Amino acid sequence: MRRALLLLGLAALLPATAFGQSAGEVERCFQNPAGCSAGGGAAPAHVPAPGTGGAPVAAARPAPPDYTTVLQSPEADRKRLQESLRTLDKYNGPIDGDMQSEATVKAIGDWQKGRGTPVVGKLTPAEAQQLNAEASKAPIRRIEPSTQAAAPPPTSNADTLKALRDRLAERRKAAEPQAEAAAQLLIRDLKAYVAAEGKGIAGEQFTTFAKWYADNKAAGRSVGEIAPAIDDYGDAKSGAAATAEIRLETKQGVETYRQCLVFAWIEGTPRKNTQAFSCDDVAAVEKWKTDQALKSAWR
Amino acid sequence: MIRTFLLVLFAATALASGAGAQSAATSSYGKAERRDPIFLRFNQMADRYWVNTETMAASHKVVAVPMPRQCAFLYADSYSKGQMSESEVQEVALSNCNRRLAELGPLGENYNVNCQCKVVISDGTYVVPRDTLPDDSYGPASIFYRDGSGNIARLNGVARYGALIGRDRSVTFTVENVRAEQVCDGTFTNEGPNNGKFSLSCFGGKFSGNGTYERKMGAPNDHIIARGQTSRGLPVVLAIGLPAQLAANTYGGI
Repeated sequence: MRRALLLLGLAALLPATAFGQSAGEVERCFQNPAGCSAGGGAAPAHVPAPGTGGAPVAAARPAPPDYTTVLQSPEADRKRLQESLRTLDKYNGPIDGDMQSEATVKAIGDWQKGRGTPVVGKLTPAEAQQLNAEASKAPIRRIEPSTQAAAPPPTSNADTLKALRDRLAERRKAAEPQAEAAAQLLIRDLKAYVAAEGKGIAGEQFTTFAKWYADNKAAGRSVGEIAPAIDDYGDAKSGAAATAEIRLETKQGVETYRQCLVFAWIEGTPRKNTQAFSCDDVAAVEKWKTDQALKSAWR
Repeated sequence: MIRTFLLVLFAATALASGAGAQSAATSSYGKAERRDPIFLRFNQMADRYWVNTETMAASHKVVAVPMPRQCAFLYADSYSKGQMSESEVQEVALSNCNRRLAELGPLGENYNVNCQCKVVISDGTYVVPRDTLPDDSYGPASIFYRDGSGNIARLNGVARYGALIGRDRSVTFTVENVRAEQVCDGTFTNEGPNNGKFSLSCFGGKFSGNGTYERKMGAPNDHIIARGQTSRGLPVVLAIGLPAQLAANTYGGI
């Protein structure tokens, strides 16, 4: 009877103690709190029913290392791990997210060996974070071609193209907030210029636009919708450069006319090297970009 | 007679409801006030905006913050000099806000939304709907924890807390993971204007800790750093106000 009561008592304590508080468990609980709600921790230990004679010590046995989380993590995360291994000079293969390729497994093993931890060739979530953190602190080094190990295995054109597209998409996503903000500011200035009936910085900065407005006003047309589409954005020799295609709507009586201008400028207060072109004048727009040495983050 | 009375009553009701709708529409943005949450959150900006004679008297005053509201952990306020137009002052505020965001580094490990700077107050008027503005303090949060084997957990998300740390005796906070699931809560209890004690409890109390916190002002960004121990005596650090990478580089080596 006393033994049964003791087991009952131990079992009652288990929900509080089953959570081992290893870094990996805490990370898993943070990422998936629902899995850590009532009862045990992220990897709940087996809790024997009271009175069945099951050994409660089983609950204290450490959970096996979790290698599946990293293997099943998003491709971008897996690629980042390969980049980290490369930064630490452990890996010279393709950045393809394949954590089970021979080169990646060997690189992980080398990294684990260097840290004095068991050489498994696979990573737990905590190890993955440590690897990335270690790489982020590593000084950037130039690898001389002669010191490189084996040449990377050839990749197919499709893979190379996909990797390139992924990189471009990432770069563009990073540039989107600034580009969007720059375009919105331009739109506000253009609208302010129209609202002030031809006065304001938009006309001073973009004389083509001022002329366009004056011509339409003289023809008795009112300006309607002004809508932007970013054409290009990136770093140039004298700052961030933006080109935006602006659709301009004018109205005269029941007639609606749609026109289009490309605005180009270097970000600043005030904007620099400003110019506006007809949307058909693609060559002039591209020449402006070349003159500014625009390194596109958009295309 | 009854029909006439009903018609008059109906017309009066319609007029009253119309007036109400109009007033609701105009009050949705409205005038900025000294006691608004955004000024309580950023008190140095509040001083420049409402108190400092050099800046408060500027002809154009603009405030920009990253939006949506949970991103508003920094701000940029700009005041006209000379003949600057309102739009130029807006441009300066927006550009300063974007620059500060870029300097602090990527936010993708903390947020699942795209944080973008927006002008929120221009010349004393809100230019975005009031209900989209932060009603509390928010900031990127990182928790660092070293377990008994020496492994370090780095947990990144967003913290939300009451705006009056340092003024109220005790301020509660919550931490959400990057998927906006609440994982931790806790309390800051002040002992001085910029320091005090904290307690933290995560996953329904399975992981908890307490210790002391300190508010750090200035570069790279105003932030709170709380250091303590878990219930098992293992070190835990909570940083609020710095994006994940910056927090890891500054406080990650616990």
